[in-house]
Amino acid sequence: MKTLTGFALALLPLSAWAASTEFQDIERGRYISVLGDCAACHTVDDDQPLAGGVPLETPFGTLIAPNITPDAATGLGRWNFEDFKAAMTEGVGRGGYHLYPAMPYPSYTLMEERDIRDLWAYLQTVTPVENDVDANQLPFPFSVRQVMLGWNLLNFDGRRFEPDPEQSDEINRGAYLVESLGHCGTCHTPRNFMGGEGGDKFSGASIEGWYAPNITPNRHVGIGNWSEEELVEYLQTGGNRYAFASGPMADEVHHSSQHWTEDDLYAVARYLLSGAGVDAADWDREPPEPLAEDNAQVRAGSHIYFDRCSGCHTPNGGGEPGIFPQLASNALLNSANTDSLIRVVLAGSRPVATDAKPTAPAMPAFAWNLSDDDVANVLTFVRNSWGNAAPAVSASEVADMRETLESE
Amino acid sequence: MSNKQDAAPSGGLTRRELLGSSAALLIGASAPGAAQALTFRDTPEWKPLANVAVEPVDENAGWQFFTEEEAATVEAIVERLIPADALSMSGKEAGCTVFIDRQLAGAYGDSERLYMHGPFQEGTPEQGDQSPLTPQQRYRIGLSALDDHCRNEHGAAFAELADEQRDQVLTQLEENEIALGDIDSQVFFEIVLQNTMEGFFADPLYGGNRDMVSWKMLGFPGARYDYRDYVERHNEDLGLEPVSIGGRPDWQAQG
Repeated sequence: MKTLTGFALALLPLSAWAASTEFQDIERGRYISVLGDCAACHTVDDDQPLAGGVPLETPFGTLIAPNITPDAATGLGRWNFEDFKAAMTEGVGRGGYHLYPAMPYPSYTLMEERDIRDLWAYLQTVTPVENDVDANQLPFPFSVRQVMLGWNLLNFDGRRFEPDPEQSDEINRGAYLVESLGHCGTCHTPRNFMGGEGGDKFSGASIEGWYAPNITPNRHVGIGNWSEEELVEYLQTGGNRYAFASGPMADEVHHSSQHWTEDDLYAVARYLLSGAGVDAADWDREPPEPLAEDNAQVRAGSHIYFDRCSGCHTPNGGGEPGIFPQLASNALLNSANTDSLIRVVLAGSRPVATDAKPTAPAMPAFAWNLSDDDVANVLTFVRNSWGNAAPAVSASEVADMRETLESE
Repeated sequence: MSNKQDAAPSGGLTRRELLGSSAALLIGASAPGAAQALTFRDTPEWKPLANVAVEPVDENAGWQFFTEEEAATVEAIVERLIPADALSMSGKEAGCTVFIDRQLAGAYGDSERLYMHGPFQEGTPEQGDQSPLTPQQRYRIGLSALDDHCRNEHGAAFAELADEQRDQVLTQLEENEIALGDIDSQVFFEIVLQNTMEGFFADPLYGGNRDMVSWKMLGFPGARYDYRDYVERHNEDLGLEPVSIGGRPDWQAQG
């Protein structure tokens, strides 16, 4: 796509190009769609972009992302700009029905008018695909869209983005990207019982059997240890020395952030690492003390680590840059939620492959080789070694994840 | 082979045999379901939980191939091929018979993965084993013939003989001094000796090498992956406890 557009640009005579604001708007809209990661939910088949059909598992039931190509019968062909704007900013579809917030309109509502307009211009240029999607698969009473009226009252404020005059343009650009188009909080902020963003902002949350980690500047459980360069490297290439994007984040990097401009990625990194968007009282906490070396789980885990993990992650947890993440002083290991850690040890993982790093490294599965106790002990060891400190992992947590994985 | 014109120089194939087997190959190649090469495109597929693990042998599951009598004879053999001494327990205690039994019950036992059709020729030593007998057949025939021999010559089954007598019989087998009827005694001895060593030194996961006894004896560190931190260290005890595919005792949380 990228190359094609560049090629098309090169073909246009300079005068025509300068005059063609329409083309620029559409191209800008295409980039907005990348920033917003529309494809994550609306594209199943790369040959039929935005034709819908990705099932979204929510705690309330399954929703299927609709067809947003300009097809008249099954897409947005009969919508006008005002309809589209209402969907993006108010969560209301053409004819007045309520959208479910799996569509992140609580984030998109912050979008600037021009961005919505350009995005709409771009969507008009997508090839129409006839694909009738029955979006609402929720069970009663959630299937009644009117319930969203009450939900919106409690969870949705419909405000627009306001730049902070105290902050630099770059930080404000980062804030806009993170809070609005990037809708990072959709996964990284805990949700209340209604599925609205509820707990401490960006403090991490469960999503599709993975843990979307804490992205506050906390050094122990957040990304405060990461440099701006490391955060940009992660979003652009799929990994850095601490982590490789896996699970739902792999999709995000694949469809979206690897294609962001470097300026935008640095703006995001500065905003997130500055802590400008979060209340320090919510994240600035003292780390706990690690468990003692003679703790029975830690000791057993140290032997398992040496025999099974140290070959790649190295005996002192240092890892190998570019291929084996370092485990030492790695905040991802310290989170209270252990879903991703247990999942990756049991099932292995193939993180995202990007244009920058086309060969995705992989972690092998250990479910066949390590018992529930073994996994609990080795994770307890790495969570309490080399600068890490976190509560012990129990065998029953591992057993639960094993059951989840086997049923997937 | 009665037709004189077809007689080939000793040891070679007749022209008719050669043509016949080539035709069979051609038919085999074009038949549906013939083996096909795997083709990979892009990156190889990756699936969560995927592995190529073998199920650990359950040593309490009873004999899978041997009869009780055969098992007793094999126990009596492996106990003498690897006797208990100052260095280690015996091959019997280490589980060599369990290892051999499970191997014979699996793909190895019926030569599932070998070409086992004629013509069977004696072959040169360089050509290796040319016997038409599968390992299962070698044990079944050989063990029965061995007991027959012992009853005739020594008045008791092999397992009931004294240690010295068993050593003597095994030496005679090795030297081809005993005729076992339907199987060459040296061929029989060699397969038992080889499988016993395999059972003693293979990963305990496969039923032998109990508690990694042979690895401890040798100082072999087991199923490990990376030695970069040790490769420069010479002539010292590295203190590496052997580890099996299934782990080692230190993996259990103590206290």
